[in-house]
Amino acid sequence: MSFVLTTALERGAKRNLPAPLAAVATSILEHLREGCFQRSLCFVVATTSVASGLEVGYEHYKGSYSNPIMYTPVALSGALAGSGLLGVFSGWGARTILRWVSVATLADGIVGFGFHVRGVARKPGGWSLPITNIVMGPPIFAPLLFGTSAYLGLMASYLRREEELPRLGRRIREIAGELAPGYSDWRTDLRYGRFQKHLAKVTVLWAFFSGFEALYSHYKTNFRYKVQWTPVLLAPLLMASAAGATKSPRLANTALPLASTLALIDGAIGFYFHARGIVRRPGGVKKPLYNILYGPPIFAPLLFAACGFLGLMASLLRRERK
Amino acid sequence: MPHRLGPMQTLPSPMRRFAENETVDYCIVGVGSAGGVLIQRLARAGFRVVALEAGPFWDTEKDWVSDEKSSHELYWNDLRITGGTHPLALGSNNSGKGVGGGSVHWAAFAPRFHPSDFRVYTEDGVGADWPISYWDLKPYYELLEREIPIAGPAWFPWGDPHGHPYGPHPLGGVGDVLVRGCTRLGIRSVAGGPVAILSASHGDRPHCIYRGFCLQGCKVGAKASTLITHVPDAITHGAEIRAHSMASRISLCDDGRVDGVVYIDREGNERFQKSRAIIVAGYAIETPRLLLNSACPGHRHGLANSSGTVGKYLMAQAGNVVAGRFDQLIRLYKAPPAHALSEEFYETDKRRGFARGFAVQTVGPLPVAFAKQMIAAMGAWGWGLRSVMMDYNHWATIGVLGEILPWEDNRVELAEEKDQYGLRVAKVTFNLHNNDKKLIEFGKKKVMEIMWAAGAKQVVQESRFAHLVGAARMGNDPATSVVDKFGRSHDIPNLFICDGSTLPTQGSANPGLTIQALAARTADYLIKHGDAIFFSNHRDLAEPGIRYDLSPPYTRFKGIPRIA
Amino acid sequence: MSRKSFPFRSTGGELRDLDQPGYYPGYSTLAQQKSWDDATRKAVTERVEKTPPIRFFSEEEAALLGAVIDRVMPQDDRSEARTIPVLLVIDERLFKNALNGFRYENMPPDQEAYRIGIKAIDEMARSRFKQHFVDLTVHRQELILKSLHDGNPDPENAIWRRMPVHRFWALLMEDCVTAYYAHPWAWDEIGFGGPAYPRGYMRLENGLPEPWEKPEQRYDWNAPVDSVSVLDKEGAPPEHGSLHGHGGSH
Repeated sequence: MSFVLTTALERGAKRNLPAPLAAVATSILEHLREGCFQRSLCFVVATTSVASGLEVGYEHYKGSYSNPIMYTPVALSGALAGSGLLGVFSGWGARTILRWVSVATLADGIVGFGFHVRGVARKPGGWSLPITNIVMGPPIFAPLLFGTSAYLGLMASYLRREEELPRLGRRIREIAGELAPGYSDWRTDLRYGRFQKHLAKVTVLWAFFSGFEALYSHYKTNFRYKVQWTPVLLAPLLMASAAGATKSPRLANTALPLASTLALIDGAIGFYFHARGIVRRPGGVKKPLYNILYGPPIFAPLLFAACGFLGLMASLLRRERK
Repeated sequence: MPHRLGPMQTLPSPMRRFAENETVDYCIVGVGSAGGVLIQRLARAGFRVVALEAGPFWDTEKDWVSDEKSSHELYWNDLRITGGTHPLALGSNNSGKGVGGGSVHWAAFAPRFHPSDFRVYTEDGVGADWPISYWDLKPYYELLEREIPIAGPAWFPWGDPHGHPYGPHPLGGVGDVLVRGCTRLGIRSVAGGPVAILSASHGDRPHCIYRGFCLQGCKVGAKASTLITHVPDAITHGAEIRAHSMASRISLCDDGRVDGVVYIDREGNERFQKSRAIIVAGYAIETPRLLLNSACPGHRHGLANSSGTVGKYLMAQAGNVVAGRFDQLIRLYKAPPAHALSEEFYETDKRRGFARGFAVQTVGPLPVAFAKQMIAAMGAWGWGLRSVMMDYNHWATIGVLGEILPWEDNRVELAEEKDQYGLRVAKVTFNLHNNDKKLIEFGKKKVMEIMWAAGAKQVVQESRFAHLVGAARMGNDPATSVVDKFGRSHDIPNLFICDGSTLPTQGSANPGLTIQALAARTADYLIKHGDAIFFSNHRDLAEPGIRYDLSPPYTRFKGIPRIA
Repeated sequence: MSRKSFPFRSTGGELRDLDQPGYYPGYSTLAQQKSWDDATRKAVTERVEKTPPIRFFSEEEAALLGAVIDRVMPQDDRSEARTIPVLLVIDERLFKNALNGFRYENMPPDQEAYRIGIKAIDEMARSRFKQHFVDLTVHRQELILKSLHDGNPDPENAIWRRMPVHRFWALLMEDCVTAYYAHPWAWDEIGFGGPAYPRGYMRLENGLPEPWEKPEQRYDWNAPVDSVSVLDKEGAPPEHGSLHGHGGSH
C-alpha cells in the first residue's frame, strides 16, 4: 500500500497530539474524506467571497465602473457571501440558493473574462501590443479567479453536512450501496467526498490563472524584489503536481500537498509584503484608500494562497470511482 | 479615410454645410473649451449654428504626433507683442489654434473654483466679485464633470468638498514626490486627479496609457478636449464647424445689433457669415482683439466697449516651477504631467500678509521644456547644460499655481503691427503688483520646502506664468464690465462673450472646467430664451435652470457613486 | 579647422568621438520606432535623416553662429556622424519665419535679433581679442559668451543697448535646446523614453525602466578644464528680473 496522506496524518496526530486534539484532527480528516463538510465549506465560501468582493470592488473602482456591468461581480459577491452564510445554517439553503448563486457568479466570471479580453483589445495597439496591454489593461484572468469562491460554493452545495457523517456500520452498507450499478454519477461522488481528481484539475487551472497574474503584475514592477519570483516559480510547480495528481494517487498524496502548502505559505508571505508595500508608499497610512488602490494588490497573494488551499483540499479527499 | 478622433472615435460624417448666404441662428467665433460646449448644446437644442475656427480641424491620427517639437502647431503661433514689467510668454504656454483650442494641449487639471473665488472683493477687499455665486455654477460643475468626465479622488477636501465621477489615476514619480513631501510636512494632498483624463474607457475613448504627452495633444483620446468630447455630438446634431476661418470683424447694424461676422477663409478670401446672434469665444487675447478690431462708428473704442474695460483686467496665474534633483531615478516623463495636487494654501490667510493663495501641482516637462527650465532656473548653458540634462531622469518638478489679482493695467490692446491676415495684432501688457509678488514669493518657498521634505538633494525654481483669463469681464455694472452674468454684452443685446475672458477673478484653480461650466450655463440661458434673443432687447436675468437632457452620449449611468 | 575641447572622465580619459554620450549605453529610442504611430515615426525619422540646407544666413553668418552654438550647446564629445544639427534647425525656423506666438516689445523680430546678435558677438571678439569670433580659442569664445550669459557684455557693444542681452540669450539658448533635445540621439543620451503611442508606459513609479529602456550606469565626468560654462556650484541663476519661462507646464 502506497503512502496515503490522510492515513499518515491520522497516525501522526494520534501519535504526537494529546488525545482531545488528535480526536479533533482525525474527525476533521474523516469529515473531509466522507464529503461531510458542507457547513465548513459554506463558511469558507462566505469569507472568501467577502474578500473577493472587496477586491473586485476596488479594482472596478479603479476602472470607474465605466460600464454598469462592472457592478455585477460586486453585487454577486455580496449575494454569494450571504448565501454561503445561509448554507452554514441551512442545508436547504446550501443545496438551493447557494448552488444557483454560485452558478450565476461563475457565469458572471466567464462573461467578465470576455469583457476583459475585449478591454485589452480596445486599448491603443490592442493585441498587437500584447505585453503592454495585458499589463496595463483590465486584468485578464481576474474574472476567472474571482470565480474561485463561487466554484467552492457550487462544490459545497453538493456535499453532505457535518452531522451526516455515518457511523461505521452504515458506512459499510453505503459502500456496498455505492457499488451498485447506476449509483456513481458525479453528484454522488461529490456527496461522498470523492472528487480528488476533479479538484486537482481545477487546481491546475486556477494555479495557471493566478500564476499568470503574479507574473505580469510583478513584471510590471520589474521584479524589484527577488521574492516576487516565488509565486511565478511556484505556480508551475503546483500546476505540475496537481496535473500529476489526476493521474497518480501517489502524487496526489505527496507532491500535491507539498506544493500546495508552499503556495499557502507563499501567499501568506506575499500578503505581508504587499501590506508592507502599501504602508511604505508615499503618504503611507495617511492615504489608506489610495494606497490600497494603487499599492501592491492586497488580496492578490491571498488568491494565490487559495490555489494552495484547493490543492491541499484535493489531496485530503477521496478519488473518484472508476 | 474617416476623420479620426483617437484610435476608435471618428467624426460623424457628413457635416452639415450652410449655404454661403444663409443666415444662421448663432455664429460662434472660436471652438475651444467654451466654443465646443456651446455649439454642442445649441445644436442639440435645434438651433442653426456655425462656428468659425481660425485653426485646422484636427484629425488626431494624422495631424498629431507623439513628439514635443512637432506638436508646435497646436499653439497659437501668430505674432503677438508682449510687454510690461513682467511680460507674459504667449503661444505654447496658453493658447491653442485649431478645433478644441487650448483644451487640446492643456494638462487637464480640472479642479473647481472655491466658493470664495466668487466673492474676492467682499472677503478680501481686492479684485472683484462675480455676478454669480459658486452655488449658481455648482450644478454645471457636476454635470460637466460627468460629461468630460473628470477622474479624481472620491473625496476632494478643499473648497466645496466633492467627489469625482471617475476613479483616480495611479501616481507617477513626480506625484510620489509631491505626496511624500506634503505628507512629511503635514500638508494634505490628493493623488490621481482631479484631471480630465480617463481612468477607464468612456464610449469610444480609451483609458489613459500614461505616456506623458498630454501637452502635445492626446492621440489616445483619453485626455478630454472639446474636439473629442463635445464637437462630435455637435456635428451629429447639425452644427457646422468652419476650420481655417479667421474672424476679422463683427458687423454692426444700424439698429445697434450685430448681424454677422467677417472672416478670412483658408484661401485668404474675405467672407461674411450672416447670423442672428453672435458668440465670441476666442479666449483672453483673441476675444478682446476681435472686439477692438471691430471698432466702428458708435463703438469707436471697440465693440461693446462703452465701459472701456474690453482688454483690461487680464490675468495669468503665477506658475513657478520648482525642480528638485533626487539621488534615485524619477523619470518624470512618465504618467500625465497632471496627477497630484494640494490646495491647502488656496484661501486667504491673513498671517501670510497677502490676499488669496495658490495651489501646488505636479508638472512633467519633456526634454525640451525641461532644458528651457534649466536655462532659466539654473542659468545652465554649454557643458553645464549638457551635464544637468544628463540627469533629466533624476529630477522632479512641482508647480505653484498662484492667483494673480485682476489689475486694470494688465491688458490687451492693439499694436500697430499687422499679422498675415492684415489684422492688427494684440499687444499684451502684464505687470505684477505688490500682493502678487508676495504671494509668488511665499508660494515658491513653500513648494521648495515640499521638495526638500520629499528628499531632494538640490532644489531650484523658475518663474513663469500659466493660463490666461479676463480681459472682457462679466459683472452687474455696465460701467465696469463688458458682459452680464450670462455672457451677454451690456452694449449689444445679441452679442455674447463666452470664454475665459469673462472671468472677473481666477482663483488658483486651472480655469478649463470653469470655462466649460460657464459655457453650458450660457447655453441653457440662450436655449431657454429661444427666439427672443434674436428679436428682443429685453434682458432677463433670471437663472435659466439647468438642462440635463442636452449632454453628449455616455453621460448617463456613468461613473461611480460619489461621497458628495 | 577644428576647434574643440573635450570633457573627461574623472577616472581619466577624454570623452571624444562618442556615438552616444550619457549614462544609458546601448539605449536607442529610434530602435523602438516600430512601436510608434505612423505620423510620429515620419516626423522623427525625417528629423534624423533630412537636414535642411542653410537658406537664411549668409555663409559668414552661418560660420559665426555655428561657432557660437558649438560653445553654448557643445557637442565636442560626440562623434562627427552623431553630431546633432542645431544651426540648420535654427536657420530653417528663421527662413520660414516660424514664430513662437509672441515677441517681447523691446525685442526686434527674431530674424533681425539673430543677425544683429551674432554681429555684436563678433564685434565684441574683435574689440577684446582683435580676432574674429570664429578664430578665437575655445576658452576666449566662452569668455565672451559667459559675459552675455551673465547679462554684462564684456566689452560693451552698442547693439546690446538696442536689444536686451538677456532676451537675446534666452532666444538663442531656447532655440538651441529645441533643436538638440528634440533629437532622438539626445533622448538616448538623457534616457528619455521618446514617442509613446500606441505603446505607453507600464512602470510609472520608482524610476523603473520599461522593458525596452536601459538602467542608468553613472560615471563622473568633468567639462573641459578651461571651460567656464559649467554650472555655478550654488546653482543660483543670474537674476534677470523679468525673465520668465516659456512653454506649457500646467
